[in-house]
Amino acid sequence: MPGIRIQPSHFGAMMIFALLVSMAFASIGHRSFATRLRYAAVAFLLFLIIGVGIAWLMFPLSR
Amino acid sequence: MAAEAPLPETRTKQNSAGPALIAIAAWIVPGLGHLLLRRWTRALGFFLSVGGLVVTGYALRGEVFLGGSNDPFGALGFIADLGSGAFYFLARVLESAGPDLSRASGDYGTRLIAAAGIVNLLGVLDAYGIARGRRG
Repeated sequence: MPGIRIQPSHFGAMMIFALLVSMAFASIGHRSFATRLRYAAVAFLLFLIIGVGIAWLMFPLSR
Repeated sequence: MAAEAPLPETRTKQNSAGPALIAIAAWIVPGLGHLLLRRWTRALGFFLSVGGLVVTGYALRGEVFLGGSNDPFGALGFIADLGSGAFYFLARVLESAGPDLSRASGDYGTRLIAAAGIVNLLGVLDAYGIARGRRG
């Protein structure tokens, strides 16, 4: 955006990505609003859990 | 009776024009295809998610790939970025400062801009499927 610049942490950037992509996934193929909301929440949590899990597994490689 | 034979072909042509226009609309403005199909929640969901990814990517000063790259990854990046439709062509306005890949946030921004295009292409396919009557 013109003039706007953000610098989130690694985890913050992952959370923004997970939130927005979960919203898009929930918009596909689900009829009721409640189902979409639940799907988005589950997808968001899975993004975070798997992301942290992969980071934890890769941690020894960074040393 | 013989005069009725061309009717199915004519009907097919009329039906195929709608889904194509819906797909083009969905590509140009994320969510517009679903809006034209009166899928309000999906339209809002796609517009917010694609718009959010692109705007965040530009605010992180991610790189926008240009066409004509000899690098295969550059070409794939261009296809992914182009998927976000109007947001791709507004890159110079929205990211007037240009990319900054000297920081990790610039690299994240590049991925977010590409992800926006891919997510919008999913939306295009979804809208096209609904228009064809294959999806609910």
